[in-house]
Amino acid sequence: MMRFTILALLALTATSAHSQELTDADAIAERANAAAYYSGADGRSEVRMIITDAQERQQRRQFTVLRRDVDELADQQFLVVFSQPSDVRGTVFLVDKHTDRDDDRWLYLPGLDLVKRISAGDKRTSFVGSHYFYEDVSGRPHTEDTHELIETTDEYYVLRHEPLDPASVEFASYVTWIDRTTFLPMKIEYTNAAGQLYRSVEVFDVEEIGGHPTVTTSRVSDLLTGGRTDMQFRFIRYDVGLPEDVFTERSLRTPPRDWLARPTD
Amino acid sequence: MKLWPLLLLFPVAALAQDDVWDDEDWGDDWDDEPAGVVWSGFVEAGLGFRVTDDPLIDDSGTLEELRWRIETSHETDAFTIDLKGDLGYDGIEDDIIADVRNLTLAFSLGSNTDVRVGRQVQTWGTGDLVFLNDLFPKDFVSFFSGRDDEYLKAPGNAVRITHYTSLVNIDFVWTPEFEPDVYLDGERFSFFSPVAGQSIAPDPPFRAIEPRSSFSNGEFALRLFRTIEGTEYALYGYHGFFKQPNALTPSLQPTFAPLTALGASLRRPLGKGLFNAEASWYLSDDDRSGTNPLIPNDQFRLLAGYEWEARPNFTVGLQYYLEWTLDHDDLLANSANPIFEPDERRHLLTNRLTWRTGRDRHTWSLFTFYSPSDRDIHLRPSYAYRHSDTWSVFAGANLFAGDEPQTFFSQLEDAGNAWLRVRFSY
Repeated sequence: MMRFTILALLALTATSAHSQELTDADAIAERANAAAYYSGADGRSEVRMIITDAQERQQRRQFTVLRRDVDELADQQFLVVFSQPSDVRGTVFLVDKHTDRDDDRWLYLPGLDLVKRISAGDKRTSFVGSHYFYEDVSGRPHTEDTHELIETTDEYYVLRHEPLDPASVEFASYVTWIDRTTFLPMKIEYTNAAGQLYRSVEVFDVEEIGGHPTVTTSRVSDLLTGGRTDMQFRFIRYDVGLPEDVFTERSLRTPPRDWLARPTD
Repeated sequence: MKLWPLLLLFPVAALAQDDVWDDEDWGDDWDDEPAGVVWSGFVEAGLGFRVTDDPLIDDSGTLEELRWRIETSHETDAFTIDLKGDLGYDGIEDDIIADVRNLTLAFSLGSNTDVRVGRQVQTWGTGDLVFLNDLFPKDFVSFFSGRDDEYLKAPGNAVRITHYTSLVNIDFVWTPEFEPDVYLDGERFSFFSPVAGQSIAPDPPFRAIEPRSSFSNGEFALRLFRTIEGTEYALYGYHGFFKQPNALTPSLQPTFAPLTALGASLRRPLGKGLFNAEASWYLSDDDRSGTNPLIPNDQFRLLAGYEWEARPNFTVGLQYYLEWTLDHDDLLANSANPIFEPDERRHLLTNRLTWRTGRDRHTWSLFTFYSPSDRDIHLRPSYAYRHSDTWSVFAGANLFAGDEPQTFFSQLEDAGNAWLRVRFSY
């Protein structure tokens, strides 16, 4: 009975989120992390990126991402299969994301039939040549920063974050505008140690997919050089029932066609 | 250098204009996802020159080629056919390039077994440019002449069956006809001949005697592997032949000695980086006692490596490798030329430095092989510039030095070269 009451209360909280104003910055950050990276128990999406450098030269990337949550708001698995451009076609990236230790990452290079293990290293380096970092794609655990609620507007919770380990990141702080209804971070602005605003992430489109508000268009801008990367998501599905064995070495050499196929429904 | 093949670039460049990716308004072209058979690949021109003269070879060029890579794949519910091949012209060998790197039929047997039949490139093991249990063919001529790293792995005609279980995964590769390494043959680079007691560059190029074709002269390679909590474990078995022609027939013709190898490896995160260790025991089937001077002895091979990102975008890899020739006293006692025999323990250190800048647009790399026991060294500096999704430029050098003419890298002292490649991907 007690359990039922708590569930009912939780359900109520969820549906009336907008009307109720949250004041606990840590709780907001955790919900934002859940909304941005943990929708459903698993998911699939096709992704396109246009990378524009300061000289307005463009490069493109296209890939399909499969994601499976091992633990709610904790460990996850990702399989990223590249289809464009031709020099990366067939390259497959497998990530076992851990919240209590470094991620395990593998890269399959089809030309050499080589399964390359990648050292955990810096997750704030370019993801496949784009302005996105690895961490922007797989999610930065909210437990690695402090959170301070600096403003609550009609639309947004505005949070300011500082890293617990400043030596491990290139930013000194960042500010996040979190939608009060969906809890999706709609804008993030990063400030470096010199106090310069040097990097931003913006969300342009959100669609509700399978009951989950989902970012479908976003942009990262390098505010110092003028370069940017636009990212677009399509053919998104949640709770498709991805089995654990999709996220193994087998999928590196033999990508799981059935799970990668574009949904027709 | 014949420039006419460069003209081939233009029709390909024109073809690429039709690429669906050229749509400026990319929001609408999702549905134009290529249906059916997709063709891709690249056209690449490569040039390389010696940095020192080789008194045995007139040609100062070490790389002079234009190749057109063609890749395609056809999938059905039941199987996948993959094709990857090169056409072109090789100015050093003055010959047409027509190589099939991959032509395979892949299908699944039940839900846990994958089969791939045909010409294919295969790799396993944990070493970085050092191979113990990976006894699939390597192309050292490509490796030393500045071709893309991909060409270090030579294709072989094989059947690969991989079976996945919850306890352990099993890889089995049967290569019905022995596929040796592409070894140094004197055409592009001279090499040391223990029979001649000096470096040679025979014309026509050197050819070793290959084992007769038969079922028992095929190659059988097995790998059992599993990943537990981020640690990759593997056991290996191989039955076939040494991949280099390091044996002699009774009439002193170079050939390949029968080999059985057993090994193991692991790879796991350690501290901020990755640690790998691998061992292999080479059993020289025709000379287990080590007394036959014509046949290589048993060997124990050991590798330990560590790689980490020392700075953002700057990765350092270090490896220690040991080649321990067993029954070494018997080898020396029976050898006609003991001074040319390998040391009992050959130690090799490698170092890979990789620095990526400009969001991976530029990759600077230096790979070093250094053997303190052979007292020889091989340096491989390189630079890759990815100008766009279609144009890339690669430049680098292969440099060698050593004290004694017969050691692996020292014999290549006159092979030092600098190279440049320009690639158009489509």
